[in-house]
Amino acid sequence: MKNPHLIIHHVLKLLILMGFTGYIAYLAFTGEILLYIAPHLVKYTELAAAGLFLFAVFQLYFLIRSRTKELPAACACGHHDHDHHAHDDHNHVHSHEPSRSVAKNALMYGLFILPLLFGALLPNQAFAGSLVKSRGIQVGESAGGIPADLAQVAGNDDPELKERFKSDKYNRDYAKLGMLLYRQDVIEMKDEWFIEKLQALNAFAGNFEGKTIRIKGFIYREEGLGENQFIIGRMAMTHCIADISPYGIIAESPQAGSFADDAWVELTGTITTTTYHGQQVIKIVVSDTKPAAAPTIPYVYPDWDFAKKL
Amino acid sequence: MQETALRKKTLKSNSYLVAGASLAAMIVLYLLSTEDPGTLLHHSKLQIFKMMFVSIIIEAMPFILIGVVISALLEVFVSERTIQRMIPKHPILGIVAASVIGIIFPICECGMVPAVRRLIQKGMPLYVATTFIAVGPILNPIVFWSTYTAFRSRPDIAYSRMGLAFMTALILGLIVYRFVDPNQLRQQEAISGQASSHAAPSPVDKSAVAPPLGQRLLEVMNHAVGEFFEMGKYLMFGALLVGVLLAFVGKESLVEWGQGPVSANVLMMGLGFLLSLCSTSDAFVAQSFLTTFSGGALVAFMVLGPMLNLKGILMMTAVFKARFVIVYSSLVIVLVYGGTWLLEKLWLA
Repeated sequence: MKNPHLIIHHVLKLLILMGFTGYIAYLAFTGEILLYIAPHLVKYTELAAAGLFLFAVFQLYFLIRSRTKELPAACACGHHDHDHHAHDDHNHVHSHEPSRSVAKNALMYGLFILPLLFGALLPNQAFAGSLVKSRGIQVGESAGGIPADLAQVAGNDDPELKERFKSDKYNRDYAKLGMLLYRQDVIEMKDEWFIEKLQALNAFAGNFEGKTIRIKGFIYREEGLGENQFIIGRMAMTHCIADISPYGIIAESPQAGSFADDAWVELTGTITTTTYHGQQVIKIVVSDTKPAAAPTIPYVYPDWDFAKKL
Repeated sequence: MQETALRKKTLKSNSYLVAGASLAAMIVLYLLSTEDPGTLLHHSKLQIFKMMFVSIIIEAMPFILIGVVISALLEVFVSERTIQRMIPKHPILGIVAASVIGIIFPICECGMVPAVRRLIQKGMPLYVATTFIAVGPILNPIVFWSTYTAFRSRPDIAYSRMGLAFMTALILGLIVYRFVDPNQLRQQEAISGQASSHAAPSPVDKSAVAPPLGQRLLEVMNHAVGEFFEMGKYLMFGALLVGVLLAFVGKESLVEWGQGPVSANVLMMGLGFLLSLCSTSDAFVAQSFLTTFSGGALVAFMVLGPMLNLKGILMMTAVFKARFVIVYSSLVIVLVYGGTWLLEKLWLA
């Protein structure tokens, strides 16, 4: 009753385990893994690759042993060739024995091979705004009620500045970041803290009127914007691509029409304020534009601990 | 005897696998049939699908590995008696205990199902296991933190999420305890073994003649690898479906469909089910809907999603009888809907 195809199962499993190990290792090595998951998850994925490698090593051992050792009679049904299972032979169907149906097996291994095949055949690609049409870009601080306990942030900053950035306890971190930005000559929207800076700018939009800002991002348009307006944005990833969403700033320029959707540009301009979905947000009056190349990793990632690094 | 057992298993062929076969076949055909593979490789929908598919798998990989390793360790090193001793006898205590395990044992739903199956096989009562499956992915510090961070200006939403998840799981556990036959695993191994006072002793009982540690570690690895393939195929299939959905239908269309007569809460519950996001990241997605939907609908999204989703339900069908999966799903849907309705009436603005 020995399954004659056991060797095929062992080999396929070994190949799949090695395939995933290799694929994840490749993505981690080239840095392209950031197109799939956020940086804080990378170390877990690397650990997973190590785990898969270990699985593969043991699978190799099981494969070799299945060729050299006779299987115990009671357990000839599957790769579960351990004596401890002999006691289970009454009414115990093993939970992970290979099925004998060729179609089912082909399907099962196919499901594992499919992602590897896709990984090998199709290039990794990053997405800009076209992926999220019509859902609306995040340009504002999320709707809050009336702040309950406005207070100045602690620390020995200029009291006048602290008065400008009064905040409730939920906004305190953004107030600190806002004060930092306020003191800069040119507010640079770089990859790091893109989302956090955007929140800080919008939470205290009035304070930043007249300031100069420089931002690189892609062009995005949505209904309700004027002829001379567009949104310059970045895609933010929290965990994986399934959760990416766009964050951006409304920009105003007489040449707005000349920019194609999804094109990458670097803008410099002056901050004013406007209202978007009932909230006060910042707006850029563009003074200078130049085309930019899309970054290899075009995503920005939220930094939950940004306040500690200020 | 082995033959009959095998045939029985084959007869119980999984309908999801059939569906998966057709889908996989379609994609393989699609890949193979086009004359010019160059144009196909640049097909944007296929490209989006590939990125989604691989992304979900890579993201879930650490969690499913943790799940199968825990399951294998439980199988080899922990006896049925130990598990039974650890779980409080009183049903309410048992359910409350299951609700708080998540706090010290924070694993994602992808790792939850394999571990829970082993626990049931080892004699954990069904109602305790059900509570754990439902609430484990939500009621833990990581998820609370991420929800609280995503909804900085609306902490009531984070508290509502935790509270509603706890209440839902509590009621769910009690209903399962009172009304559902505890015999719900697809294969009858554990329960029958427990009832017929297993002839052979479990690992700890025969500690006097326990095999050497090396041998037992080999067993752990053998179980872990076996279970990785068994559970992994549901993860792959779930990721495949979610990828197809996101690439070919798109989040926006899903949202648009709901702008009709259907209530926002139902829509967001459906979205939570289909998107199958990890419970630690779904708060950020929910946050992006804050301007479109009410707080109650967002809580519905964040409570239902981790308890019941496309990716997880496939894994559940591998472990539980179809009838139980249906009962579980219906209860979760009704309880979450009722819960968010109450929350909106009473507390959430």
